[in-house]
Amino acid sequence: MTQAPHHAGRVDPITLAVIRGALETTQREMTLTLEKTGRSSVFNLAHDYSNALFDHLPEMILQGQDIPIHLGSLIPAMKAVAGFFGDDIHEGDVIYHNDPAYQGSHILDCCMYKPVFYNGELVFWTVCKGHLTDIGGPVPAGYNPAAKEIYAEGLRIPPVKLWEQGRRRDDVVNLLLSNMRARRDQEGDLNAQFGACRVGERNLIALLDKYGVDTVRAAIAELKDMADRHMRSLVRSIPDGVYHGEAVLEDAGHGLGALTIRTTATVKDDTVHIRVDSPPQVPYFINSYAGNSMSGIYLGLMMFAQVPPPYNEGLYRCVSVDLGPKGTLCNAVEPAPHVNCTTTPMETLTDAVRMAFEAAAPERVTASWGHASGINIAGINPATGEQYVTMVLASIISGAGATRYMDGWHACGPLCCFGALSSGDIELLEYAYPIIIHRYGLQEDSGGAGRYRGGSGTVWEVEPIDHEMTIIAFGEGRQIGTMGAAGAVDALPERKLGRLEIDKPGEHIVHRQNVITTIQPGERARNVNPGGGGYGLPWQRPAEEVLRDVCNGLVSIDAAATEYGVILDSCGQHVDAAATAAARQRMNQQGVQA
Amino acid sequence: MKQRFRLGVDAGGTFTDFVLAEKDGPLRLFKSPSTPDDGTRAIAAGLQQMAEALDMSASQIVQNCDLCINGTTVALNALIELKGVKVGLLCTAGHEDSIEIRLGHKEEGYRYDASYPPAPQLVPRQLRRAVRGRVLSDGSVHEPLNEDDILAAIEVFRAEQVQSVAISFVWSVRNPAHERRARELVEQHLPGVFVCCGSEVYPQVREYTRTSTTVVNAYLSPVMGRYVQRIDQFFAEHGARAPVRYYQSNGGLALGTVMRERAVNAINSGPASAPQAGLYIAKPFGIDNVITVDMGGTSFDITLAKGGQTQLNRNFDFLRHRIGVPMIHVETLGAGGGSIAHINTFGMLEVGPHSAGATPGPACYGKGGEQATVTDGNLALGYLRPNAVLGGTIRLDQDKARNVIAANVAEPLGISVEKAAFGINTLVNMNMANGIRRISIEQGYDPRDFALICAGGATGMHITALAEELGVETVLVPKSASCLCAFGQVISDVKYNFLASAPMRLHREADLAELNRLFADMEQRGRQLLLDDGFDAADIRVHRSVEMRYMGQIHECTVDIAGGELTAASVDAILAAFHARHEALFTYSEPHNPVELVNLECTLTGLVDKPALPSLAQDADSIRDAHDGFRPMLFDDSGRWVETPVYRGEQLLAGSRIVGPAAIEEPTTTVVIRPGWQAELHTSGTYKLTRWAE
Repeated sequence: MTQAPHHAGRVDPITLAVIRGALETTQREMTLTLEKTGRSSVFNLAHDYSNALFDHLPEMILQGQDIPIHLGSLIPAMKAVAGFFGDDIHEGDVIYHNDPAYQGSHILDCCMYKPVFYNGELVFWTVCKGHLTDIGGPVPAGYNPAAKEIYAEGLRIPPVKLWEQGRRRDDVVNLLLSNMRARRDQEGDLNAQFGACRVGERNLIALLDKYGVDTVRAAIAELKDMADRHMRSLVRSIPDGVYHGEAVLEDAGHGLGALTIRTTATVKDDTVHIRVDSPPQVPYFINSYAGNSMSGIYLGLMMFAQVPPPYNEGLYRCVSVDLGPKGTLCNAVEPAPHVNCTTTPMETLTDAVRMAFEAAAPERVTASWGHASGINIAGINPATGEQYVTMVLASIISGAGATRYMDGWHACGPLCCFGALSSGDIELLEYAYPIIIHRYGLQEDSGGAGRYRGGSGTVWEVEPIDHEMTIIAFGEGRQIGTMGAAGAVDALPERKLGRLEIDKPGEHIVHRQNVITTIQPGERARNVNPGGGGYGLPWQRPAEEVLRDVCNGLVSIDAAATEYGVILDSCGQHVDAAATAAARQRMNQQGVQA
Repeated sequence: MKQRFRLGVDAGGTFTDFVLAEKDGPLRLFKSPSTPDDGTRAIAAGLQQMAEALDMSASQIVQNCDLCINGTTVALNALIELKGVKVGLLCTAGHEDSIEIRLGHKEEGYRYDASYPPAPQLVPRQLRRAVRGRVLSDGSVHEPLNEDDILAAIEVFRAEQVQSVAISFVWSVRNPAHERRARELVEQHLPGVFVCCGSEVYPQVREYTRTSTTVVNAYLSPVMGRYVQRIDQFFAEHGARAPVRYYQSNGGLALGTVMRERAVNAINSGPASAPQAGLYIAKPFGIDNVITVDMGGTSFDITLAKGGQTQLNRNFDFLRHRIGVPMIHVETLGAGGGSIAHINTFGMLEVGPHSAGATPGPACYGKGGEQATVTDGNLALGYLRPNAVLGGTIRLDQDKARNVIAANVAEPLGISVEKAAFGINTLVNMNMANGIRRISIEQGYDPRDFALICAGGATGMHITALAEELGVETVLVPKSASCLCAFGQVISDVKYNFLASAPMRLHREADLAELNRLFADMEQRGRQLLLDDGFDAADIRVHRSVEMRYMGQIHECTVDIAGGELTAASVDAILAAFHARHEALFTYSEPHNPVELVNLECTLTGLVDKPALPSLAQDADSIRDAHDGFRPMLFDDSGRWVETPVYRGEQLLAGSRIVGPAAIEEPTTTVVIRPGWQAELHTSGTYKLTRWAE
């Protein structure tokens, strides 16, 4: 990471607070514009987009509270994009980019960068990143588990100008859109991103009109310094030392077996150095290029730091990162395929970082959240004859991890999105696509057992209407459960896992890997995703809380006994106090047999 | 007005405000402490004050009212305090959890907060019962209704002593037959239990919104029903000539019989009358673009009306519950006189959203408050009169204000007390200005095209600074500012919103017959309701709007449309209006792309004649008698005190012109006129504040 830049003088604290508010309003208005105008359900229903503001350096000066996966990678991506064009950046330019070789996350996440000039000087960048529903390539929606190389995944967009000095380059826009399915949706989303960047620009110029460049710059420098001081104070509270974490990535279809990602966090005074050791990159779409890996690092850090907004690059100034040798899973290089990387292995990397911090500061860290194990759907709409394709965000809404304060939220994940997603109304989905959603509900026994229970994962069950539907599974969390914290342990780990279930006449198939399959009308696909991890010892959870979960169908009667040592009558209405005391004493002495 | 009086009663959390409008006479304001356990006691106390002031009996006053109108926070309070009734939910099998999943989203501001709790659930999972039977998006029945599931659920509800049942099935908006049958069964087997259906409460597309709205309605309506019954009875016993009208969140009045079925329509009954009031205050000035701002002790409410039209919000989160039905768009911020100034974890000054409330209140109240608040800042700046007595008991202690600001703000930031006090003021103004941006710029309106209307007791001290922050040129401060919502109620109409849904691609060959049929049906039902209520056909107004989007978008823009039969020509006009609205909101439009119509809305208004505004005598020289000495005040962060003239508002007559810096002290509010502003008192009892250059 770069050294702290030197800034002369302090801006007065009131002006500082006012400028902070203006930046937040700007970012908020950008987000609102995207949400209201986005065309694909991934944008407008699911909020799978993120906005940020950068200064001239370019350093991130405000990150929205959007998708964590996008925001970490935006920091190096902005620098890569600005560096690519160097001096060739002019008023009225708009740059587009998705390429992981230039620090992009995955190629579905297309990012627009608009330099904001004031009196001929570059002062800001407004940046807007969003997940398009398609980016070309052999598989609709971009998730191609068969890809051995990035070239087989879809369209790479290295930094390119879509507008040059105010003039839209229709030839370039046409080139991009011609390579994507559902072109109208993609064009609408591109327009929405442009609208967001312009709304941001409009506000920032008003801010500069009011306070002038010098004051605004001084305030921004101070805001970054404040974030830096705060993160340093948190890091300083950890005893100096070397802390280790590791997390295991299941084999979701590549056949290479489980892979382990290890991290070390070296804390010295008020700095922390995070080093990643991951296995060599694999010919399967789970390789993470450097930009995306930074998102995993930062999310793991934030699960420890739990910093309230506002967020800017100053937070990370005391953090140095070594992603390991090039050509490894978390520091992948061409030609590694990568499309699944924003969930897998990003979430596993986050877990490994989280574990290192749990070793360093056990009292602060929360349990992990369910990983993304979801599906994309595609087919030909029989009513219109048009092709449709979308990622089903509702299929990845997993359970949140429990914390030292409370149970995990139900249906708030996955880990990589941390509650920022929105799964979209089922009627809007049924209206947009020829499907029947038979179920979208909480999954019994999916929350990790603990003094505080993990949040429940969800189940999403679909049937196509009058056509054959293709189902493309992605992610993981179908073999290895969500990590608990502070001694939490699952006696029934199988029930916490995600899976894809297919019901065909006389056949029930359970997939635990990333498959591409088809179903017909009358058949159903049911995607179950994992619950969140528990926190603390399950047998210390008050029996009445377990009883309440049983009454609400979140925990089964047998799981209450096996996981929590709470023995209920056969109706699940009353706690058998004596039997419960005995069971819990036994667990306390022997632990549980997982 | 057909009678001598009209009475508005705005029952707030702390005080119940009364406005008694007299035909060709003055507007009288009264206040009594609210009595949440039985609202009629506060009303009786208010009537007693009126009786004494007018030398009449309470019953005589009521009998001489053409209308008695009640705005109430009873539904709001029940929702805040989670004191609604026990609800059972019948929902489509597989979708029992939509109100708990809440689209899988965690609110902004708490992304990495490990202690932020999930939203409260109004129906526990065990009372959300699955019913098999499925309708599809085209209204067809994919699977027949399973009545056994309903009967089994009814037995659970009976055993659990459920008091209210919400019924919400997927796509009931396209085919309500299953909901209607479920309703029949519940009514048959659970007599006396309140029942409501999604297709009636919120007949528009979006299952989560509809179910949530229906559940909130089921949760609150029995509470509202008891309240309405009590109030209706109270006024009937006093010989009221007409049934009491209740204020709804849509900015219109409704009968109690409607209200007790639709409490969800009255959640934000209080501040919803503000835009009407603002428009009425602005009318004598020829202004019909108004932003009404109301700062109280703990919150700041903002509403907007453009071209004389109030703005409605639909499908949004209110107190963490998704509500679909149209409500006057009120932007509420945690920015009031009691808002606390503190240094955040980064070392930055923040004001609010936490409030010191009424107890202990600001430090200057001397009731044990140890936090620096906005009121402390205003006292330290000289805007409030040191040692002034509030409500007969609280004496404002300027030393306490200065000391707490010194300890909590000035010293940690290393600045002077004066600078810190001015900083608190500036920051709360900025928060309020950002809130105003949210309701104006984010809706495609420029605040500089509006007048600010000052409502609420604390707003007057911030209003000119706020106007400067926003570039607003005109501010109106009515003498009735502190009771403006109650005033808004007595000048409001009876208003009912009807909703329907007909998703279709909109073009000249679209199924206009279906749209015409739906509009005609909504209009007919609304007309009947108003005619039955005694309105003349000539006093009924119909307003139509549609919600539209580009094919594939999910969020709609609301476009107002003309009445009458829809034709191919009117479709062109509607499309043009939509493209223009999209451009205004989001900086671009796509006229070449197909457009989809989703939802329809029809608003029926029964016009009620309005009491006239008071008429003050003219005497520009009254300013001399009203002058009440000077007080040092601060208007910037230089620390330079300005000896500022103070005026007694009660002695000012129309035509008085006061040049800032100055302060006007009305009995329940203080107006600070910053340098560069002037105030002129209009005969209608409103100060018009404008920029002034020497």
